[in-house]
Amino acid sequence: MLEILNLNVIIQLLINGILFGTMYGIAAIGLSLIFGTMRIIFLAQGSMIILFAYVCYWLFELLGLDPYISLILIVLISLWLGAGIYRALFKGAVAQEDKNISLLIAIGLMFLLENLMTVFWTANPRSISTSYTSYVFRPMGIGIPFNRLMGFIMAVLSTTGVVLFLKKTFIGIAVRAAAEDMEAATLLGINPHRVNGTAFAIGTGLAGIAGVELATIYPFDPFFGFIFVLKAMIALAIGGIGSVFGALLGGIILGLLESLASFFIGGGWSDAVSYAVFLLILMLRPEGLLVRSVKKA
Amino acid sequence: MKSYKRIILTAFVILAFALVPFIVDAEKSYLVYSLFLFFCYIIISQAWNLVAGYTGQISLGQHAFFGLGAYTTALIWLHDITKTGYYFDPITMLLSGLVPAILAVIIGIPLLSRLRGDYFALGTLGMGEIIKVVFVKGGSITGASDGLHLPSAIYSSIKPYYWTGLFLAIFATMVVYFMIRSHTGLALRAIREDETSAAAHGIHVLKYKVLAFSVGAFLAGLCGSLYGIYLFHINPDSVLKLDWTLYPILMCVIGGTGTIIGPLLGAFFISTVFSLADIYFVQMHPVMAGFLIILVMKFMPNGLIGLIQRKEIFK
Repeated sequence: MLEILNLNVIIQLLINGILFGTMYGIAAIGLSLIFGTMRIIFLAQGSMIILFAYVCYWLFELLGLDPYISLILIVLISLWLGAGIYRALFKGAVAQEDKNISLLIAIGLMFLLENLMTVFWTANPRSISTSYTSYVFRPMGIGIPFNRLMGFIMAVLSTTGVVLFLKKTFIGIAVRAAAEDMEAATLLGINPHRVNGTAFAIGTGLAGIAGVELATIYPFDPFFGFIFVLKAMIALAIGGIGSVFGALLGGIILGLLESLASFFIGGGWSDAVSYAVFLLILMLRPEGLLVRSVKKA
Repeated sequence: MKSYKRIILTAFVILAFALVPFIVDAEKSYLVYSLFLFFCYIIISQAWNLVAGYTGQISLGQHAFFGLGAYTTALIWLHDITKTGYYFDPITMLLSGLVPAILAVIIGIPLLSRLRGDYFALGTLGMGEIIKVVFVKGGSITGASDGLHLPSAIYSSIKPYYWTGLFLAIFATMVVYFMIRSHTGLALRAIREDETSAAAHGIHVLKYKVLAFSVGAFLAGLCGSLYGIYLFHINPDSVLKLDWTLYPILMCVIGGTGTIIGPLLGAFFISTVFSLADIYFVQMHPVMAGFLIILVMKFMPNGLIGLIQRKEIFK
């Protein structure tokens, strides 16, 4: 055992964990934004990520578009699609007292997307392999895969972008105000639909980025989305809701946890470990996820 | 409608269902199979209805209880534990309901005392996934991802499945019906409406929530046992998939949650749609399921029963 435990392996595990965790992180930021204004866990987030991963895959296979170029296109599509989905599906439901209606619509959407993708692209795992997929940086003997590093950079940039948007623009400030107290924000003349729609669009926009990141790093199939959204929720529970960087950090911690657990305990068990952590946090440290509902109650 | 009329009508409907295998050719007809599924759906829908519809605790872990029921049956059968006949053995089925019910008490106490609303839903979802991982990684005991194979040579006819399904569907509906009509049901509904106020009125909130949760798990386990005996091959992909949580939600919501008739209507509607979709466009029916949930929630959030009630008001 000791000879396995050399420093290099540990560093490799940590790096892989951090780089993979950023993906959970950006998915979690999307969830956090949508939860902030609409008070629902948007369970279809994971399926949206997979959908954009497939879009990326198609753009690459059919048009030969480089994933990092199609990223721009996909972010635009996803922002637009997010606003569209909000208008078409959730606009009526959020006005109602019962939040379960929105939650169930999200479940329905997840189901629909998952199975539509299965019909279109079959359930076989797909992945994108470009000329640089297997390229690995080796600064000081530590291998850093190029695509994961790109994913990390994308995650940091998009997180910074979201933070700047929320802090500097008028609509961003409105989104934050609505997340604090929707009623008060509405009384001050903020249109709830505009705020919700914006949060939703950014949430799906981040799903687009996560989708491209996923497509370049990891083989994916339609049913991966649900696992993904669960992981994003765990990240959110760790990081605490309401903080954008917190969500990213939560994702990174989860990534680290998984990469260490799968090395020390064994492949499939890492999932059980992360769900157990999730349950423990939900029960013992409600400040993570529960902070708002405690205040409301 | 007067109560005796209602009883006669119910008895008539049940009798009509019970006689179906005599009228059509049970072994060849698709109808008998789809009605069998319809009965299974009723059982799990009523289980979810009790927990979520009446008590207001949205459980997303029903598939874990369903799968646990199926696995319990398979393990008792393969290890020859109770020394009874196993094939439609009431003791085995009862145990398959009890194991999930006990698990529901064990995990229900921490989950239900700590978590409310959405967080309870997420907690049960996490629990379901942990149980799934445990079964996938269970090695030779649970047969890992390949699962367990029961001696399928014993299968002779679908008729016993049909009648057991019918019986259990009636049983599940009766359990929920009588629970709701009793003092317990009043407490459950009080908890759903306002937990704080219920506690202030002297209701032991946790006790009743755990009771509802474990009865729901018991019913789901029974259904899992029956379905497991039907499948003969129990693996995580077939009995522990999330569909067994999503379908009951779908049926309750379409029919109308928090009513006795709602889940029956919903289960009938959905199993009809699924059967037709299965015959006419294979592979498309899960897509339609998702589409239907969205449509129903958008245009009739109170379900089919809401439509009927609205008509009665307008009369």
